[in-house]
Amino acid sequence: MEDFLFDLIDLVQSIADGLLFGTTYAMIGIGFTLIFGVMDKLNMSYAAAAIAGAYSSIAILAVVPAPAPVAFFIAAIAAGLFGYVIYLLCFRFIPLASPLATLMATVGMLLLIDEIIVHETDGMPQPYPALFDDVMVEFGPFGLRGDLMFVFAVSVVSMAVLLYLIYRTRLGIATRAVSQQPVAAQLCGIGLERTNAMTFVITGVLGGIAGAMIGAAVGVLSPLLSIPFTVKGLIVTVIGGLGSIPGAIIAGLLVGAFENTFQFLRGVTERDMYVMLLLFVFLFLRPGGIFSPPDGRD
Amino acid sequence: MLALDGLSKHFGGVRAVDGLDLEVRQGEIFGLIGPNGSGKSTTVNLICGVFPVTTGEIRFEGRNITRAPPHVCLAAGIARTFQNIRLFGHLSVWQNLWVAQNAMADRKASGFLNRWFGGSARARQEVEALLEFAGVAAKADDLAGNLSFGEQRRLELARALAAKPSLLLLDEPAAGMNVEEVGQLRERLAKLRDDGMTILLVEHVMELVMGVTDRIAVLNFGQKIAEGTPEEIQNDPLVREAYLGAPQSAGGGNA
Repeated sequence: MEDFLFDLIDLVQSIADGLLFGTTYAMIGIGFTLIFGVMDKLNMSYAAAAIAGAYSSIAILAVVPAPAPVAFFIAAIAAGLFGYVIYLLCFRFIPLASPLATLMATVGMLLLIDEIIVHETDGMPQPYPALFDDVMVEFGPFGLRGDLMFVFAVSVVSMAVLLYLIYRTRLGIATRAVSQQPVAAQLCGIGLERTNAMTFVITGVLGGIAGAMIGAAVGVLSPLLSIPFTVKGLIVTVIGGLGSIPGAIIAGLLVGAFENTFQFLRGVTERDMYVMLLLFVFLFLRPGGIFSPPDGRD
Repeated sequence: MLALDGLSKHFGGVRAVDGLDLEVRQGEIFGLIGPNGSGKSTTVNLICGVFPVTTGEIRFEGRNITRAPPHVCLAAGIARTFQNIRLFGHLSVWQNLWVAQNAMADRKASGFLNRWFGGSARARQEVEALLEFAGVAAKADDLAGNLSFGEQRRLELARALAAKPSLLLLDEPAAGMNVEEVGQLRERLAKLRDDGMTILLVEHVMELVMGVTDRIAVLNFGQKIAEGTPEEIQNDPLVREAYLGAPQSAGGGNA
């Protein structure tokens, strides 16, 4: 009986840790979903650019030492720039009429980013600064890691700012207008290219924050991160409903908790199998995702 | 004010618009009519930059806008409505007007922050006035997609006005309206003209066209076959032939 109780406590602990880390999945999922919303295209290089943003902050900190918050800030700015470059190379200068051309351009960009990272770091994992990693907040039998709580707090604030941008400012309303009626939006004077570029920069900044938080939570950055986070981001997007921001947030937390639960129950080598299983269950029972996209286009 | 000079648009081998000359004068309501497929909507799409022009030239207030993209045409002062309503269905009624007003109306008066993030008190007052004009003030917070058909038509007209255009292109604004609604639309358009607006009206509903326009051009197979006052057009034999088919060639004249 006592053993069972201990197991239960550990299980709840795993779910809580997973929920905290799941906010990074939610941010990556939001990025995929937002870009899909305005461009009607997937940007496969999104998660890689997010990780690359975090790498950029390491590179700059190696030259100019600075505390961790500065590193996070640099990561966000760098990833915002990468977002703009990806927009130019993969969407602006590639004919959008051919769906495979842009998709493959972003896949190419994903591989390119990975290759550059491997080349620059010789494939070695790089330590990443964290905040509050020596803090442990105790709640009875449970303990919450300070660094994970910090990651959670930063992610929640970032997503709240983004939601405010999207739903309450003219910039966000214009972005949503473009995703609903691209032609009519232009005829209301909304410049399509400028709005699209803005979307890439803003989702890029969000990705950079996510990349930095991933680094802070894991403690290291490695070239092995970008593909799993691309896959997880896409899974979150599909489970949440392609095009739905609230869906991406809920699905991100769900995937984070689910993954950590099965890591606890079945071990780290099996956990992704169960995440895929969760995806299949959704594809089978609710292929449109938790929320079907709120903004249909004609 | 608006001058089309030898305007042509070819889709593959189809000459949707074929060497069209047209001039719309300041402050008039100009009607553009013709059978289905005669090139009316294509002409509207060419003027506001949705379709690239094949040959010919479009001048607006002395400026060549032949190759200008839609948002540049809007900035120059051309706004439009659509034959099939294209509101932002998942934005609120209020937001539909706010976002349309955004792009140009505030550009000179205020900076980046106001344009992208806020909206001046004056901008908000203008939105309120447009809500009244469209008769949807009570539904300002509803999603535009949930309005009735008539309300959506009125909101789309208000959205076009939000950008403060000097020329309004209306693509079949009376489609699907009942007699009473057409009467109201007629009054609205007449009032806009009295306030100094220039309007290019593409329409099938003859009681609206004949009742409100100052001059009319008739298109058939992408070419202008007649131009004149409503009375002249009603008595033009070529126009009757295009609409009804010539007596001696049964079935001809309809595209």
